[in-house]
Amino acid sequence: MISLRGVSLLYPNGVRALDDVSLEIAKGEFIFLVGHSGTGKSSLLRLLYRETRPTTGEITVDGIRVDRLPSMRVPALRRHLGVVFQDFKLLPDKTVWENVAFAMQVTGAPTKDIMRQVPRALDLVGLSHRSRMYPDELSGGEQQRTAIARALVNNPKILLCDEPTGNLDPANTTEIVDLLLRINLKGTTVVVATHNQAVVDRMRRRVVRLDDGKITTDKERGYYYLGLGQGQVLSG
Amino acid sequence: MDWGRVKFFLGEVGRSFTRNTVMQITAIGTVAVMVTVLGAFLFVRTTLADLGNGVLEQIEISAYLKPNATPQQIGALRAAFKADPRIASAEFIPKSEGLKELRERMRGVVDTSLLTENPLPDKFRIRARSPEMVPAVAADVRRLNGIDNVVYGQAVVERLLRLGIVLRRIGMVLIGVFLVVAGIIISNTTRLAVYARRREIAIMQLVGATNLYVRMPFICEGLIDGLIGSVAAIVLLAVARATVWPRMLEALPFVQFNAAVVDVPSLLLQLLLVGGIVGALAAWVSVGRYLQT
Repeated sequence: MISLRGVSLLYPNGVRALDDVSLEIAKGEFIFLVGHSGTGKSSLLRLLYRETRPTTGEITVDGIRVDRLPSMRVPALRRHLGVVFQDFKLLPDKTVWENVAFAMQVTGAPTKDIMRQVPRALDLVGLSHRSRMYPDELSGGEQQRTAIARALVNNPKILLCDEPTGNLDPANTTEIVDLLLRINLKGTTVVVATHNQAVVDRMRRRVVRLDDGKITTDKERGYYYLGLGQGQVLSG
Repeated sequence: MDWGRVKFFLGEVGRSFTRNTVMQITAIGTVAVMVTVLGAFLFVRTTLADLGNGVLEQIEISAYLKPNATPQQIGALRAAFKADPRIASAEFIPKSEGLKELRERMRGVVDTSLLTENPLPDKFRIRARSPEMVPAVAADVRRLNGIDNVVYGQAVVERLLRLGIVLRRIGMVLIGVFLVVAGIIISNTTRLAVYARRREIAIMQLVGATNLYVRMPFICEGLIDGLIGSVAAIVLLAVARATVWPRMLEALPFVQFNAAVVDVPSLLLQLLLVGGIVGALAAWVSVGRYLQT
């Protein structure tokens, strides 16, 4: 579903965000990308939805060669991807319903599809009863669920999450992670970049660890600090 | 027709348009001023050109023949004039008829009976198809066999033509400057609108809206700015036409301006087009620049 081969990303300021990264993610997988801030997790996700292009290497997402994708075809790629961020990126002057519908409206979806899919997405994230409220009337967890509903409303095969629980308290964090798991069980490939050790250790899923732009660990049913010394665990 | 989509789109345009009223009014005002000047210029230019053409159309070229010109030469000249596409008519006037005309014209001014012999040469009276062609035609005719001298209102024609060219150039520069100014102001308005909506644009791009879709509301906004500005200018021009124009005619009684030569519907259409195009284009460029970075 997702494949990176020898991917390096060098920013114009000389920072090497990713260094010869190769990674295969199968259809329907749930995978954590872990590592400290600035180790390239977000850069890797940005490459997948073609916000940036790799300096070298091949990237394939759902059969599309993303590293070679011309700008004109980027919208088509993004309609197959859902992306969720730490800061939700909701529009404050639109209701929950409108925020979710927005993703379909701006891609020119017919009204009848919107009327069918928005309620379905809101139901999936458990926000049907909040559909008329505005983002600032919601809790952080509810806002993130709105963002997830928006990411899912076009039925993407892949959901990319960049620190989805970074702004949430533990209770809301659990709620969001459980939701991501349920989405994954419905067949969506889910990639979560996080540095939340508790979440990763509780879930026991595939864990890919990045350090200074390199993959240092890739373990099924892994832990956040698997393979590292005891001292480093304590300092984390 | 999917009315839900239309409604959503119009809503987006409307929200964008009403978000920054002050800037919007500035943009519309600039377009209005620009189009007013443009309209006034086009109006005056058309009437002036008509005036100039009136004078120029009466200009004829007199090609005087050498005294020893043979009938064959005269025949060849006649054929040459007929073959020249720039020449509308060429009339041969023998010296006897020329004298008759002179006597007509000078009756009561000079006693032409004092003339004992005919001092006039034979001549051709040539009319060019358009005033701009007169100097070139005259120069060519002068070179033909059997022609002694060519006379036309050189000074008048050249001065009028030059005046026309100068006026046109000044007008073009003026219009160019105004178009650029209006374009810059509209593109700044668009930039502010884009900046105000940058979150929405980011989300649109994230969920896979095409660039065209992202651009559309802003371009519509620029188009609306341009069109409203043009309409305001047209109203202003209509008022000026009704109030200032008659006074100008009174102030310049010796100039025969003819406002009827202006094709009003086509002028209005041109003004609307200019306003709309400047608005849409400026917005297009401005959003495009934002989306590429």
